[in-house]
Amino acid sequence: MERTEGRRQADTILIVDDSEINRGLLENIFSRGYRIREACNGQEAMEQLADGRESICAVLLDVVMPVMDGMEVLREMNAQGWTEEIPVFLITAEAGSDVLREAYTLGVMDVISKPVVPYVVQRRIGSVIELFSARERLSSKVAEQQDEIFQQAQQIIELNMGMIEALSTAIEFRSGESGAHVRRIHDITRHMLLHTKLGEGLSEETVTHISMAAVMHDVGKIAIPDNILNKPGKLTPEEYEIMKTHTLKGAELLEKIPQMRDHAAFRYAYDIARHHHERWDGRGYPDGLRGAEASVWSQIVAVADVYDALVSKRVYKDAFSVETALDMIVGGQCGVFSPELLESFLAVEKELRGLYRPGAGQIS
Amino acid sequence: MDETVRQRLEAAGINVEEALERFMGNEMLFQRFLKKFLEDESYRKLEESVQAGDPDGALKASHTLKGVCGNLSMNVLHGLLTEQVAAFRAGDWERAVSMMGDIAQAFSQVCSAVQSL
Repeated sequence: MERTEGRRQADTILIVDDSEINRGLLENIFSRGYRIREACNGQEAMEQLADGRESICAVLLDVVMPVMDGMEVLREMNAQGWTEEIPVFLITAEAGSDVLREAYTLGVMDVISKPVVPYVVQRRIGSVIELFSARERLSSKVAEQQDEIFQQAQQIIELNMGMIEALSTAIEFRSGESGAHVRRIHDITRHMLLHTKLGEGLSEETVTHISMAAVMHDVGKIAIPDNILNKPGKLTPEEYEIMKTHTLKGAELLEKIPQMRDHAAFRYAYDIARHHHERWDGRGYPDGLRGAEASVWSQIVAVADVYDALVSKRVYKDAFSVETALDMIVGGQCGVFSPELLESFLAVEKELRGLYRPGAGQIS
Repeated sequence: MDETVRQRLEAAGINVEEALERFMGNEMLFQRFLKKFLEDESYRKLEESVQAGDPDGALKASHTLKGVCGNLSMNVLHGLLTEQVAAFRAGDWERAVSMMGDIAQAFSQVCSAVQSL
């Protein structure tokens, strides 16, 4: 982008020739349409190119010069990649076919013979300059549009995420939760995938999708009646059976939204909503998955959900201290987790505490 | 351009009309550069290189001089130098050096015509 911006102001022809008469002649031909800079040998030309390249729209290069000749300039410009940006013309009294072949290989645009014919040099050089600047305008336009498209895509992703969060928060709100719960489940999932071996082999994009999916783990609670959802005391066995259906209802709900079904995060969202209450020993619900039958992300959300519930105040309980919460999780009082999962969880648990400070944002 | 001046330049082997075309009709500039030609060091370098028996230096000087003569439409001198450059390139030192008399004569004709401007 920067290069493109600079090139657009290129309006200067650099004339490189050791003879003042030859330089003056070319200057006279081009001075009406362009700014002119002059160099009387290759080394001076390289110095001018090194510090003012963005203003140069063409280089007219003599071949035989003292100090540093035209072919050396050409080789150096080629090595720097400058012949791609700036059209170079050899202006020479005569050149052998070896020189010509090397010049064209090094990216020279045209070879113009001395003595020059004004009309011919004007046309040949002018049209190449126009071509380069048109190409530059086009590529800067394309870059601009790509940038715009990228920004729009970012906005769409953010909007998606915002709507998913809004929906999930609205549902959590019924059970007296704030948006902070879904936010924290998102952040814990993301942190564990990025910073423990549980996320090994997952791309950054996949981690983003899984974390987004984690936000929706409890959407099925929308189907649970208020009197059960908000009951302060212990649920009866019948009530508990109804409560358990939020996993299947959540999966079902997500499946019914066409836009969700087509989203890359859908398979994770469906899986997590359905399986975040499975247990390592196979005694969880709704499918009774055993061990690694439940996906790593479902297991992560399961432990995150339990941890968050323990250390937060809920309608049916006060907040436990972190130490008590960890004892309960490790002691198997709140479900049974895989040893690997617990190991990873305990390894990053201290970092997760940052999420519970007032005004805490994302930690990873 | 004054007709006598033009004739004097033409007589020295300069194609004035062609040169003016190259300078896009700018007579002032053409005359200024003709005078600059008197200060050009290529001819002196050519003579020195020939005397010193330096083929590379001689080729460079002859080539540079040829380029300038061409741009100023000094056609007689340009023709001689074109031949000389070819001879130097071909490694025919003898032939190239043997042309120095003709070149010197054409050069001094051009110079005296320009000096009278």
